Amino acid sequence: MPDRHTGKDPTEHLSDHGLLALVARGDREAFARLYDQYGEAAYSLAVRIVRDRDLAADVVQDAFLAVWKQASRFDARRGQPSTWILTLTHHKAVDIVRREDRRRAEPLDEARAAAAVDPGPSVDERAWLGVARQQVRAALRRLPDPHREVLELAYFEGYTQSELAERLALPLGTVKSRTFAAMASLRGSLQEMGITMEDEWNTSTS
Amino acid sequence: MEHVDELIPAHAMRSLDPEDERAVATHLADCERCRRMLADYESVSASLAYAAPRETPPPELRERLLASLEPVVEAPPAVVAEPRRTRFGWWPRVAAVAVPALAACVIGLLVWNVSLRDDLDSTKASLASNRAVHVDNVGNVVADTGGHVTLYADLAPAPAGKTYEAWVIGSSGPIPAGTFDGGGIVVLDLTAQARPGDQIAVTVEPVGGSDQPTTKPIGAASV
Repeated sequence: MPDRHTGKDPTEHLSDHGLLALVARGDREAFARLYDQYGEAAYSLAVRIVRDRDLAADVVQDAFLAVWKQASRFDARRGQPSTWILTLTHHKAVDIVRREDRRRAEPLDEARAAAAVDPGPSVDERAWLGVARQQVRAALRRLPDPHREVLELAYFEGYTQSELAERLALPLGTVKSRTFAAMASLRGSLQEMGITMEDEWNTSTS
Repeated sequence: MEHVDELIPAHAMRSLDPEDERAVATHLADCERCRRMLADYESVSASLAYAAPRETPPPELRERLLASLEPVVEAPPAVVAEPRRTRFGWWPRVAAVAVPALAACVIGLLVWNVSLRDDLDSTKASLASNRAVHVDNVGNVVADTGGHVTLYADLAPAPAGKTYEAWVIGSSGPIPAGTFDGGGIVVLDLTAQARPGDQIAVTVEPVGGSDQPTTKPIGAASV
């Protein structure tokens, strides 16, 4: 893992957009650096969704291979590379969960057990990740319970809107409007908290 | 063109059912405005990833991944547009597209509610449970049957030393319901509940807010 403080890593000062531009030209170091930045977030997300570490590793590998192959088609105007990476990871994980219907299996629920002993931010170059975790969790806590519930079931459990309606015994229209309102509120909370996404979290802690 | 605003947040979370998914995909192919809104909501959706409990990836995963990379052949240069860096990072960029998009969203929500009237019985229940009302000069409010009110305000930044304050005005007079600074779309869950017929108002107050309004409301509407 490159150390951002030694100054020896030539990719050290590049933004994620810069790294991705290098990846598009086949630069393995830049790719490794993107993985070092977001691999843990992607893996944590995948484990949470598929509830199996081996399967989660496959999901992350698939997602990052897609990054490697499609980097030249990434449209920088559409947003942050990290959003793209985490969205790829999320969608691949959800597709697996839907295909295998793993949710209904409800295994040991390791994800929740791990949450209880979450070590929190570590004092390393990815301290921003700990900050990101705290801030997003705080933003989620600000949501009314029914709003947080639809986001968690949709995002982490992979429920579609009609599956949510069935599970929550609510009219589909209510689920749709609640999902919309919950996302709009989350968006507002993140803004009010002055949350800066990954690039800024990165640089502000170094 | 009929936009698909109300479906975009769920689309960003891959939570749409196949029929809606197809409708959104078809629309997105032709609509730059909705693509920008989707990009905005994808960043909100992706931020949820950070709420997952921490798991350290096995070192073999990194090795396996790097070993599996095939050389990129004749890749065209990527389009690199460094995002503007400001104190709020990604937000101003998002806000630039999101202010019109969210304004359109709120309108979309209103239109959506109306269009649902023709829909199935099940969706009529949602109409009854959420009411969206426009507040002149301020934005919109959405109230549910539980009395929970969300204010979508689109206001210039509050003057120096001032803040905006929301009020729920019922039979017992104005109740403070939260302050905000404006300067873009603000989504505010009001801290006071509203009963049907109550007014939602916004005034300009000294920083910190007031217990009672000290200025005339810049906008008010009944929910």
